Amino acid sequence: MSEQERMMRRINAYQFALWELHIYLDTHPNDCKAAEKHAEYSKMLAEMTEEYESKYGPIHENPNTANRWAWIADPWPWENEEEGQ
Amino acid sequence: MWTYEKKLQYPVNIKNPNPALAKLIIAQYGGPDGELGASIRYLSQRYTMPYPELKAILTDIGTEELAHLEMIGTIVYQLTRNLTPEQIKQAGFDAYFVNHTTGIYPADASGMPFTAAALQVKGDSISDIHEDLAAEQKARTTYDNILRFADDPDVRDPIKFLRAREVVHYQRFGEGLRIITDNMDSKNFYAFNPQFDPKK
Repeated sequence: MSEQERMMRRINAYQFALWELHIYLDTHPNDCKAAEKHAEYSKMLAEMTEEYESKYGPIHENPNTANRWAWIADPWPWENEEEGQ
Repeated sequence: MWTYEKKLQYPVNIKNPNPALAKLIIAQYGGPDGELGASIRYLSQRYTMPYPELKAILTDIGTEELAHLEMIGTIVYQLTRNLTPEQIKQAGFDAYFVNHTTGIYPADASGMPFTAAALQVKGDSISDIHEDLAAEQKARTTYDNILRFADDPDVRDPIKFLRAREVVHYQRFGEGLRIITDNMDSKNFYAFNPQFDPKK
């Protein structure tokens, strides 16, 4: 597994944990412990995403990643290493 | 509004084409219990939903379903790359191919185009949330059925992820049903429709 894949895996894991807490909090808005966990994962995800985008190109468009060529560059999410062979 | 993230919710990396399997999995792209229908159902039901927790859960799960639609589109796309005419014919993919080549078209496993006739927006909290609970179970059954025919671990892994999400969504909607009934007349939940009738 490449460094890029390893980082994307961690981003996916943090984002998944964050999302699970997010939808749990929709129906349990008073759960302080879940809200704390949500804040914790939110910080971890933001840091990892910033590092990833600085190395491998944008996941979202933001002031740090407003490079048109980087945004349109392959691969798109439905493509993988098999592409273009 | 929505913003796009240039990534999948869960990775899909399929090495070997399998058009016969793609023909089955497309059911979750444009079929009656598929991700497109799920997303449109929840995102449409939320407008008249009276309770904040329910507005949130319908918006968020409706949004997650779009990420699942993208995963299913990716699975079908990766299963139908680099096909030869022989493979297309042998797999029974020729009927789909004549209409769409290898483009990803929202249809069910038999080729029936996506239709909103398979979903409902009833404008009544209890009716709508029960439809949503049923929809998650029907999608779970479809994924179970797909897993009966899928041997490739590259395909099984993301399908199992999507199956597990149906179970989690069912749980969240179940909590939603509790929140709805807690807000209603406990002696008769059907005394009035909180989305239409004046509050008692």
